[in-house]
Amino acid sequence: MNAPNNVVANLRRLTRHHLFWPVAALVALVLACGAYSPGFLDVTVADSHLFGQPVDILRQSVTPLLLGLGMCLVIATGGIDLSVGAVMAISLAVSLTFIDANGPGTATALTALVIGLITALVIGTFNGFLVTVLGIQPFIATMILMVAGRGVAMLVTKGQITTTASPAFKSIGSGFVLGVPTPVVIGAVVLAIVAVLVRRTALGMLVESIGINREASRLAGVRATGLIWTVYAICGLLAGLAGIVYGAPTMAADANNIGLMKELDAIMVVVLGGTKLDGGKFSLAGVVVGSLLLTTIERAVIIFHIPSQVTPLFKALVLIVVCLAASERLRRAVTGLLPVRRLQEAS
Amino acid sequence: MNALLTAVPQWGARLRDPRYLPVTGTLVALLLILVVGQLRYTEKRSFLSMKLFSNLLVDNSYLLVLAVGMTFVIITGGIDLSVGAVVALVGLTTAKLLIAGVPLWAVLAIGVLVGSAFGTLIGVMVQYFDVQPFIASLAAMFLARGLCNVVSVESLGIKHEGFAELASWKLKFGEGRESWSINLSMLVAFAVLAVAFVILHHTRFGRTVYGLGAGDGGTAVALMGLRAKSTRVWVYVISGTCAGIAGILFTLYTKSGFNLTGIGMELDAIAAVVIGGALLTGGGGFVLGSAAGVLVYGLLQVVIAREGLQSWWTKVLIGVVLLAFVLLQRALGTRRARRRPVPVTPTPQVAAPA
Repeated sequence: MNAPNNVVANLRRLTRHHLFWPVAALVALVLACGAYSPGFLDVTVADSHLFGQPVDILRQSVTPLLLGLGMCLVIATGGIDLSVGAVMAISLAVSLTFIDANGPGTATALTALVIGLITALVIGTFNGFLVTVLGIQPFIATMILMVAGRGVAMLVTKGQITTTASPAFKSIGSGFVLGVPTPVVIGAVVLAIVAVLVRRTALGMLVESIGINREASRLAGVRATGLIWTVYAICGLLAGLAGIVYGAPTMAADANNIGLMKELDAIMVVVLGGTKLDGGKFSLAGVVVGSLLLTTIERAVIIFHIPSQVTPLFKALVLIVVCLAASERLRRAVTGLLPVRRLQEAS
Repeated sequence: MNALLTAVPQWGARLRDPRYLPVTGTLVALLLILVVGQLRYTEKRSFLSMKLFSNLLVDNSYLLVLAVGMTFVIITGGIDLSVGAVVALVGLTTAKLLIAGVPLWAVLAIGVLVGSAFGTLIGVMVQYFDVQPFIASLAAMFLARGLCNVVSVESLGIKHEGFAELASWKLKFGEGRESWSINLSMLVAFAVLAVAFVILHHTRFGRTVYGLGAGDGGTAVALMGLRAKSTRVWVYVISGTCAGIAGILFTLYTKSGFNLTGIGMELDAIAAVVIGGALLTGGGGFVLGSAAGVLVYGLLQVVIAREGLQSWWTKVLIGVVLLAFVLLQRALGTRRARRRPVPVTPTPQVAAPA
């Protein structure tokens, strides 16, 4: 009598875990791809570099991961950053314009990287300024740069698609470090830094406290202004890095298209990972799972020979399914506990 | 005449009423652009002319309809990101069905209903499954974009006679270079505007919409015996339906359906609504304010074109204008908030309480 109850309770606890549904979706998707295309899970070593579909997925998941990490922190404070796509375009435009003017040397490439990142940091700081000092709602404050940012990127490139050559800069996006694609290394390092910064210090807890109840956290002595400002700056910086990693292999600063709609991908990644848009508790592991899930969806569409334009449809389906699965109400309806719960709530 | 004379001071008082100050800001901006335009661009003919307004409305009638629908959603504190994608989907559906030989009236009805269906989907997800409006409408947006690509990835031109007649129908006024006209899209947009105005400002449903924006999940409204739940679904249905109508208008404007139209159009609509004085936190906003916001938005583009600036300046300038309006709202908002508690400041405001 007791044992089945235990199993049910454990199962319920497992399905209640915020990562259960996204991980289940990811595993199901990978297995489906593997079943459909037998070589899918193979990883080969050629020229001491890793190749294969899983490696590609990892490589491509770095952009949403970088965006998602910053976005996750912003969302935890109860905010949102819609400008990340535009920031990607601006930082890449700035870097490539600098390389275009100064030649393809390695030192130039490094300087270009730093300049691009600083630009992104400044933009993030500007967003933070609007949100904290001027007290504008995050949605509209960052929408200003979402709209104007692409115009600014066009100003930087003078309306052209700046193309240039710099092997060192290109390798940021397409190179290998010890056989592992550079973007993956960058993603892992950034993830580690953010995780340590947020979870090994009180920073994460403070950010969560602001998102859960700003007034209570203020009374407890949390300095929200500085923290929120920092979080937007970090989000901007990571978006700039994402732009460079994403755009470096092409070496073309297409201000209109680099990072287009990526802000929505970033938000989707965070939400898929079980972080609520209301703010408060956030999950970095969720961001990792979310970005892998998103990239696998995009890859699966290719594996299944579905026209790639249909990708949004799959994104929509996964988003709806995961959101509905996470919905308390649907769960209650499914488990048939609705009347009982009502009584408990009423008493 | 008498009524007009008494109405003028009334309107003056209204414009200074703190509730309407954001809209007053929009109107001032509108006048400012018009005056500057008149001073700068009047060479052979006056910048201010019926032709200007006629062209403005021809180019922006679809945006007007979108902004009207978005106003409802934003007043409840929600957001609808799907409208741009829905416009594209409606355009493609219309084109596809017309090419397949379905009667025109049925095609138009189906087009609008596609919008309503997406609105219903979002509304149900938001109200009954507690999905945030942002995410629910984002999912709907991806869904609509995906379906667009299923319908067709190529631009579908419409060569239907009846449809072409509808698109080219207009009432002409004036002669020669001063001639201007009223076309079907304008009439539809004005009809939508009028209906929305009555619904939002003169019905119980409208009051409920404002009540939902109080930020308590509709509890206060429900306690007053108003239908909070169904109203929240309905605002999304209204927004979706408006997106359907806007899709038809846009198709009449371009005479084709294309899967990449309307990318970022939802932002245009949201920007217009915000410029028109609505608060994204909910609880504040006016249908006519949003209409003024659309005009400001359209006029900015006219000014950019007249100045001969590159098109990317439009984006930068719209961002700047958006910032200016948000700051204006913010300044007004803090003034209002400061007045609410026991007056600490020695200068009490004279204006009527909000």
